Amino acid sequence: MTILCVRFQMPSAREAALPELLGLIEEFTPVVEALPPDGALADLRGAERYFGRDAVELASVIRVRALALYGVDCVIGAGPGPMLARMALRDARPGLTRAVPGGEERAFLAGKPVAALPGVGAATARTLCEYGLDTLGRVAAAPLSTLQRLVGARAGRELHEKALGVDRGRVVPNGVSRSLAADRSFGRDELDPGRHRRALLSAAGELGVRLRAVGKVCRSLTLTVRYADRSATTRSRTLKEPTAHSAALTRTAYDLYEALGLQRARVRTIALRAEGLAPAEQASHQLTFDPVDEKVRRIEEVADRARAKFGPRAVMPGSLAA
Amino acid sequence: MPGFTHLHTVSGFSARYGASHPEHLAERAVERGMDALALTDRDTLAGTVRFAKACAKAGVRPLFGAELAVDAPEPGPERTDTSVRRDRRRAPVRGGAFVDESAPRVTFLARDGARGWADLCRLVSAAHTAEGSPLLSWPDNHADGLTVLLGPGSDVGRALAAGRPDRAARLLAPWREVYGDALRLEAVWHGRKGTGPGSLRLASRTVGFAAEQGVRPVLSNAVRYADPGQGEVADVLDAARRLVPIDATRELDSGEAWLKDAGAMRHAAERIVEAAGFRREAAHRLLEQTQATAAACLVDPEGDLGMGAVHFPEPHLVGAGRRSAQRALASRAAAGMVRRGYDRGPGRREYWERMHHELDIIAHHGFASYFLTVAQVVDDVRHMGIRVAARGSGAGSLVNHLLGIAHADPVEHGLLMERFLSRERVVLPDIDIDVESARRLEVYRAIIGRFGTERVATVAMPETYRVRHAIRDVGAALSMDPAEIDRIAKSFPHIRARDARAALAELPELKELAGESRRDGGGRYGRLWELVEGLDALPRGVAMHPCGVLLSDASLLSRTPVVPTSGEGFPMAQFDKDDVEDLGLLKLDVLGVRMQSAMAHAVAEVERATGERVDLDAVPEGDPATYRMIRSAETLGCFQIESPGQRDLVGRLQPSTFHDLVVDISLFRPGPVAADMVRPFIEARHGRAPVRYPHEDLAEPLAGTYGVVVFHEQIIDIVDIMTGCGRGEADRVRRGLSDPESQGRIKVWFAQHATANGYDAETIQRTWEIVEAFGSYGFCKAHAVAFAVPTYQSAWLKAHHPAAFYAGLLTHDPGMYPKRLLLADARRRGVPILPLDVNKSGVTHRIELVSDSQGSRARKPAAWGLRLALSDVHGISEAEAERIAAGQPYASLLDFWERARPSRPLAGRLAQVGALDAFGANRRDLQLHLTELHRGARGGRGDQLPLAGGRKTASAGLPDLTSAEKLSAELGVLSMDASRNLMDDHRTFLRELGVVSAKRLREARHGETVLVAGAKAATQTPPVRSGRRVIFSTLDDGSGLVDLAFFDDSHDACAHTVFHSWLLLVRGVVQRRGPRSLSVVGSAAWNLADLLEVRREEGLEGVAARLAAAGGSREGDDPGGGPARRRLAGSDGRPAPAGSAAQDPMEQRKIRMSTGYEMHPWADLRPAGEGPAVGRKLWHQSPGSAG
Repeated sequence: MTILCVRFQMPSAREAALPELLGLIEEFTPVVEALPPDGALADLRGAERYFGRDAVELASVIRVRALALYGVDCVIGAGPGPMLARMALRDARPGLTRAVPGGEERAFLAGKPVAALPGVGAATARTLCEYGLDTLGRVAAAPLSTLQRLVGARAGRELHEKALGVDRGRVVPNGVSRSLAADRSFGRDELDPGRHRRALLSAAGELGVRLRAVGKVCRSLTLTVRYADRSATTRSRTLKEPTAHSAALTRTAYDLYEALGLQRARVRTIALRAEGLAPAEQASHQLTFDPVDEKVRRIEEVADRARAKFGPRAVMPGSLAA
Repeated sequence: MPGFTHLHTVSGFSARYGASHPEHLAERAVERGMDALALTDRDTLAGTVRFAKACAKAGVRPLFGAELAVDAPEPGPERTDTSVRRDRRRAPVRGGAFVDESAPRVTFLARDGARGWADLCRLVSAAHTAEGSPLLSWPDNHADGLTVLLGPGSDVGRALAAGRPDRAARLLAPWREVYGDALRLEAVWHGRKGTGPGSLRLASRTVGFAAEQGVRPVLSNAVRYADPGQGEVADVLDAARRLVPIDATRELDSGEAWLKDAGAMRHAAERIVEAAGFRREAAHRLLEQTQATAAACLVDPEGDLGMGAVHFPEPHLVGAGRRSAQRALASRAAAGMVRRGYDRGPGRREYWERMHHELDIIAHHGFASYFLTVAQVVDDVRHMGIRVAARGSGAGSLVNHLLGIAHADPVEHGLLMERFLSRERVVLPDIDIDVESARRLEVYRAIIGRFGTERVATVAMPETYRVRHAIRDVGAALSMDPAEIDRIAKSFPHIRARDARAALAELPELKELAGESRRDGGGRYGRLWELVEGLDALPRGVAMHPCGVLLSDASLLSRTPVVPTSGEGFPMAQFDKDDVEDLGLLKLDVLGVRMQSAMAHAVAEVERATGERVDLDAVPEGDPATYRMIRSAETLGCFQIESPGQRDLVGRLQPSTFHDLVVDISLFRPGPVAADMVRPFIEARHGRAPVRYPHEDLAEPLAGTYGVVVFHEQIIDIVDIMTGCGRGEADRVRRGLSDPESQGRIKVWFAQHATANGYDAETIQRTWEIVEAFGSYGFCKAHAVAFAVPTYQSAWLKAHHPAAFYAGLLTHDPGMYPKRLLLADARRRGVPILPLDVNKSGVTHRIELVSDSQGSRARKPAAWGLRLALSDVHGISEAEAERIAAGQPYASLLDFWERARPSRPLAGRLAQVGALDAFGANRRDLQLHLTELHRGARGGRGDQLPLAGGRKTASAGLPDLTSAEKLSAELGVLSMDASRNLMDDHRTFLRELGVVSAKRLREARHGETVLVAGAKAATQTPPVRSGRRVIFSTLDDGSGLVDLAFFDDSHDACAHTVFHSWLLLVRGVVQRRGPRSLSVVGSAAWNLADLLEVRREEGLEGVAARLAAAGGSREGDDPGGGPARRRLAGSDGRPAPAGSAAQDPMEQRKIRMSTGYEMHPWADLRPAGEGPAVGRKLWHQSPGSAG
């Protein structure tokens, strides 16, 4: 019962505040793993003895500090391993930390739906439910070989272990937020590709600005288009090189969009997500003999500075200004 | 000053384009002082007949035309360019591609009388031979009798809009070559900006270009709607046609395309010629040209369209050889007399006289070819081995009987020829034939094969906007949330779109929605309702009429446009069933009757399984077992007598002869029920009231029905006997009775003639009362006899071959009840239901001998069981079902997988419902094996299956489906609870509540308050005598059926729940009207599914809380404040009267019939909700449910 899973309850616009909140947890333990956009795992093994309090008490301290310092409430689950802590988090609410004591893992898991298990996605959950293995208790009771036939050898073994409460995960300190998202909604069913492209341009520009502000580059871009009937299409593409350059992001976003070939689709929201974030210093950049590329990047730098000074709408592409 | 004629006007028949009905356009034209008006619908002439009739009524001269998409003369460079680009366009991942409306459109007007009309028909037909949307190819684009208008939408107009007069001149050349002097250039000004269609610059360019090229220009307004202010409706129609939402940032309809008067058009002409650089007087010439063009178009609706004339197939095609049709008919009728032995029987003189009398009438009208045609069709159908029977008044003709068209002998049953055809009646006679529904299309093909496509076409049936579709289309156009649109649309009953707001204000089940609408403040919703009502009754598409077939001579194609139907490619006339009658085209109604198919299947099953041949047409009459079954009122599945009302009536009437069935069917009509003919009849029949006749002369026609007038034939006889006017005249009198105006005249006439015949005043008075009250409402006995034949046949099958009967019913699904109810009925009647099994089930439902091996042979030797069919499995294709059936038996799962090759989802479903149980292992294990087989088949892995004990499939240790899950799977996959009744699982809860089962209800006292529960089977709101709306519903609880009635006072509390729930719990009072007649008058209703959920999760306390909070009303959203609270607050537990404000408008809106019978405005409609429950909806969704 030494791992905490913390989820901060903050609006998505304040994603950038996560590092500060992580810093707060790091005052208790150095072993903190960020779960972007708004969560973290913390290993309190040493802290318990150091502070002389158990994990649940420490969780209360963390909550109080987060509220006092940043005005952000949080929900906390505690368990013997990261997986159980995450599962516990689902039962917790602000002010009530859910803790899974060691030895009660199986009982805690038995009644839970399979989809609640981290690492079990919609597809796996559907497969398991089809075969009547809708709770983790049933999964634990099923023969290992059958599970392996259902979801594959390795996934089956892991699933079986997890369902039995064997949590082999560790908290891996990383400290970076791994993705950033920007979305644009339309007030009505929008079919006009021109307006779709404007939304993409604006979202890609925003992502670029935010990435550069935290000194990160992204490796891939994901486009999610949501329709009037609440369904969505998602497509990802890996960038040629990790970058935070708005023009490159926009180009990729356009490519992703064109590949959908939308005509009559009633689009309500377009969302872009930059994924695989890494420090900008570690990114490589292919130089070209074309001076334009170099110039555009320098203009971008200047524009960023202008935005920092005069607000985000100080500099923007002409097609968005109208 | 010349007047003005609109040469380019579309009506609502241009589906999702025109916004006004043709009648409306004609009226407006007259109001605005025009003396002629053209109708040029897009790709169709369907509005022609209605337009011609409306014009005749309003007093304007109709011009006929059509607007067609036209292909380019030769593939020009620009055309290929675009098509290549279009092909290269990526297929959208979502939402579909844009609707292609790029083809140029040209208006054609019929000019030279019949030739012009024929050309127009040919062009429209030719355009529809194109793949995809209608497109007239250039080789077909020629006609001598047409005038052509090249407007802004034509290729020439587009070139002008693009500022390319040179290209316009080049494109004009081929048109000139073909149409020469009949070519016009059409200028349209809608006050738009730029140079596009409707702009002043394009209009002036057109006029200038016309002068330059020496082509005459005309002015039009490209009318889409009759009145100004309908532009928004046009926008919705555009959006619905293009399948996109209205985009306010794009160009919307200009609002100018209405039927402008001559002054406004003169103003437009002046502006256009001025802009073109001519003097103002040129406007006069432009208008004159338009008038001259209109004047040249001379098509007379009577002479040239052929309205009023009759066209039968040529005699040599219907077996007359070189003789005249009349002689051929006479000799065939005589042959029929001999074949049936009527020439030898005791009443032979009567038969001969009747035959000659009828032949005379037929000769008088010259309808002999018609009778021969129908006889030919019936013969052909019979040769194909398809069950066929005549229905309708045609059954009253002896000639029809002799020709083999009608089954029942009209002389024996007292049916009259005059009801069908007489010298005095000058309308086309109407013979309908019933065939097996499953083979209806075969019959169509046979008819087309016999007479040829140049004489035969099916009839169109325009689908018009009603409220639900209108809400869906408007909602989509306004970018509303699809889920919300769906919810709103489904909460409406199937009413007219124009009643949307009235229904919202008046119907209790819509109260919630009305509240939302009010809260919204009329903003978004207000616009929605307005537009929904604007779409009222506009055609939105066209389908093939399900039964009409046109038969004509070889000139059909020059009198009607014929298009292929979308599915089977049958030729279909664009006119609907009323139009074709006006056009004098002979229509034969070939109705597909599912019951005929079901009976054919039952007979075939009996023969397959037992070798016994049953000839349904020769089953013994008066079979006691059959009538015993009918009298027990357990007539589910029997033709015509299975509805709740009929079961009630049958229970009271207790039929024991064929004649009783005929009477029963006649009595169960809105008219007789409304006129309360039922009660006196039943009283007299059971001897509780004396039989009375107004006069002893009338005893003969009235004796069969205990002095109560039931049939049209009796009215005809009464009038004939009292006045001596002859039956033909008497039938005309009878028809006149339904019109209150002529009723007065008839009364005087009747009194005069009856007095002359020596009847005293009192008799006349009494007789007239009967005639007046029942005359227009009685039922044609010929109809009833024709119906009663399959009724008796189906009842006989149910009594003697129940298993086969249910097999037929389930295979062809003929009735008003969902299949699961038929299955429950079969179970109650002791027919064993055998589960689906891939080794035993066939494509269709079959019967199988079930031998009871548990030593009970002495008691019950063997029973025929019903084996469920593969075709009922959700999502199975015909080919798959046949493949599975053909490959039987299968030794193992692997064998089944390899030989039957089912799709993976199908195999999974089969496993779920236990069709694969024979292969061992439990159903979930089987799923796993199937998945692996599927993967193996794809991935090329080994096909080794773990086996246990030889061929059985080994267990994989997965939990088996629980019993509830099995039932859920059955409902999901088969839409039937095959293994047991779904209500069985709720027994404990129902016992806790003290619910009375349908079986025990039979012992309940009159007036007792009871709780009943069950799955909703059918809901109706038929018209009833009191003029109020009554909701009738039937519940099935496994032990039988409970018939419910909800009256006005309970609607506030119950209507929504009853319409929108699948499982119901109802509190009500028992009503008894006879030993077998019983119903429950509901006062409160709950959604049982919700209560079960509450019981499971919160226990009885939760249920009590729920009942206390929202007793009877819908749960959740309105706890406490709803009408239920008010009722519960009432001291006696009776519903408090609903708000008087809600009642008043209803009183005023009652539909008053001519006889004083009042009908509720919302009665007789398909109610709200989604109809009876099938499959899944009856079952809670648990996370552990299979699949």
